Amino acid sequence: MKHLLLKFEPLIWLLFGQGVLLGTLLLTGWVLVVGVLAPLGIAPLLSFADAHELAATLIGRLVLAGLIVLPLWKGAHHMRHVFIDMGGADRDATVAPLLYLIALVGSVAGIIAVVRL
Amino acid sequence: MPRASHPHAMQPRNPGSTRTAPPQMPPKFPMQGRYRAYTLFDWTGLIYLLLGFLALRIVWALGDGEAAWNFVMEQFQNPIYIGFHVLSLVSVIFVGVRFFGFFPKAQPPRIGPVKPPPQPVILAGLYAAWVGVTVVMTLILTGALFR
Repeated sequence: MKHLLLKFEPLIWLLFGQGVLLGTLLLTGWVLVVGVLAPLGIAPLLSFADAHELAATLIGRLVLAGLIVLPLWKGAHHMRHVFIDMGGADRDATVAPLLYLIALVGSVAGIIAVVRL
Repeated sequence: MPRASHPHAMQPRNPGSTRTAPPQMPPKFPMQGRYRAYTLFDWTGLIYLLLGFLALRIVWALGDGEAAWNFVMEQFQNPIYIGFHVLSLVSVIFVGVRFFGFFPKAQPPRIGPVKPPPQPVILAGLYAAWVGVTVVMTLILTGALFR
């Protein structure tokens, strides 16, 4: 398993790095509006019809796919290192594939969610 | 036929005769000194993981129709969700400030024939992109653009 993880390390690192960079760029405005300002009534949120129309464009789908997929890989890879740093290096061969599997399942679901818009 | 070698291929089969002290965690790990920011940076992974799944939930609801969309938006008004999103916002900003701070320092002296721009230029570019994307995203989501 460790050998397999090492084989996929460049791909995981690419997704992790883009999760930190692009994920942070995209998430700041997203969390600010969707998670804080709109629920508190401080700012309006797009209506369903407008949101759907925008999201269904090619750029909208790509942005939403990035917003779902990249943070998942950033999260999975960082959580792997939390486990290692907290004394779980011996269990890395079990924990790492589990975390990456969660990210993979979420990514596939995210791509399906974006395609079916 | 050349092939990729295993990174640990040169590791000796048996431990050497030189005695070494067993590895120990630094005394200040995990929450003192410089380790605090390091540990918190790692733990933001949990926030990002949850944010990814919450974004998935929203997009899935968008595909399901107006009733599902309204249901999720109503749930987001719950104080627990709002509290989580405030914590998430702080985490995302923390990640941005920390990552953009060390990104310019991590650049190689040359990328092929090209020399990277000076560190302050890279840093300014990253912050400009961050502010720009955040402003555009905010304007789009609040309906100020493209409605």
